[in-house]
Amino acid sequence: MATDIRVIGSFVQAMMICPRQVWLMSRQICPDEDNVFLELGRLIGSHAYGRERKEVHLGHLCLDLVRRGGREFVVGEVKKSSRAREAARMQLAFYLYELREMGIEAEGELLFPEERRRERVVLDAGLIQQVEELKRRIIAVIYRDKPPPPQKIPFCSKCAYAELCWA
Amino acid sequence: MQKTLYLFASGRLRRKDNTICVESEEGTKYFPVTSLRDIVVFGEVDLNKKLLEFMQENEVVLHFFGHYGNYVGSFYPREHYNSGYVILRQAEHYLDPGRRLNLARKFVEGALANILQVLRYYQNRGKDLAPYIEPIACLAGDRLSLCGNIEELMAIEGNARAYYYDSFNIILEGAPFVIKGRSKRPPADPLNALISFGNSLIYTKVLTEIYKTHLDPRIGYLHATNFRRFTLNLDVAEIFKPIFADRVLFTLVGKKMIGSGDFKRHGAAVLLKESGRRLYVKELEDKLQTTFYHRRLKRNVSYQTLIRLELYKLEKHLIGEETYEPFVSRW
Ligand code: SF4
Repeated sequence: MATDIRVIGSFVQAMMICPRQVWLMSRQICPDEDNVFLELGRLIGSHAYGRERKEVHLGHLCLDLVRRGGREFVVGEVKKSSRAREAARMQLAFYLYELREMGIEAEGELLFPEERRRERVVLDAGLIQQVEELKRRIIAVIYRDKPPPPQKIPFCSKCAYAELCWA
Repeated sequence: MQKTLYLFASGRLRRKDNTICVESEEGTKYFPVTSLRDIVVFGEVDLNKKLLEFMQENEVVLHFFGHYGNYVGSFYPREHYNSGYVILRQAEHYLDPGRRLNLARKFVEGALANILQVLRYYQNRGKDLAPYIEPIACLAGDRLSLCGNIEELMAIEGNARAYYYDSFNIILEGAPFVIKGRSKRPPADPLNALISFGNSLIYTKVLTEIYKTHLDPRIGYLHATNFRRFTLNLDVAEIFKPIFADRVLFTLVGKKMIGSGDFKRHGAAVLLKESGRRLYVKELEDKLQTTFYHRRLKRNVSYQTLIRLELYKLEKHLIGEETYEPFVSRW
């Protein structure tokens, strides 16, 4: 494996859903793009919040949306539905954490365009601990020389890796 | 569901906005690019770089066949699923003689198991195929497991196939065609013409599916790799040829859907006419679109998808996750 393992936002998101995804992503074994759920996610991502939307690349971070908030920057993350809400929240928390490491204070906002809903995410001590723990677990998964075996979870039915996992 | 577009007539293939435009003496037709997975060109077709760029952007593979129905080559757009990791593991399994032999053997194993499955199917329908099933089963058993190198594997497969092709005369008893052994260049009789044509189509089908995975089609195991030609599709096609191509042949010939009028002679070669090719392609597509319930995926999948699943199984073998076992038909 590469010597320099770097945790990125999509790994955090994936880790919250299924560690196997993290391992596969780390080897650039990307899911089948014919998958309709991926398409849907991309479409929503590209049309929603047209005016304020801006994808920003900052080091190893790829932020969906950044705008100036009242106090500081607000970093947004657009998701298809609140079903993977916890995963999205942790991904956002991870961004806030990494930004803080770079000396940038920000607060987060989770966006659910289809439900017309926003949710604030603030990096407090509890969340910091969760992010650090998650990062450690992600690195441990990536260091495995085989992927964690697939495990049937409800998410499998709409996961783009399903054909690979269950072939 | 993306489709394969077959072009029989000669004419022009070009990009028109977001569609592929086919101009021929039969008229002009438009196909939305997203509805196509690959295009198989039989006719004399003019095309330009703009079209190829369009194919590349939309990840559509093009396969070309010559005037005699022989496979010429493919336009395989730049890979979009690149995993250096998978390619390294693929090469590693090629370079290690033990691992390579092991995988090559699996492809032969799968091919022979599916051949036996086809023969048993016709035996259950009253054909006396025991004289063919026994020797092939014997080759598929001990003989195969004792093989020490690729050449021996190839020899065993060749022997098994000789019995198998002889059995076509029993399966197709009463049909107007007889096969006297396999002849490839050129095919000497209608059955050989059908076999060659069908096999080439299966090679292209598998190649298109490989394009949808992280595998490199140039690294094969049973068929030696020379990095200039696609070989992995030849390996994987071994498994599917009996259950897709040969069964289409038995249907077309057995049910007298295809006749002498669908073939033409050209010197020593017997070739399929356009009418014959159309019949074949239609029957093959119907077969590949048939769905069945996949127990692990818990949903219906088509035989077309089954090819991709087979490649994923291979990927899992290469990354050390699960030992590859070839697909064996149960019907
Ligand atoms: S299909 Fe299931 S096991 Fe496989 S990666 Fe997706 S969620 Fe994980």
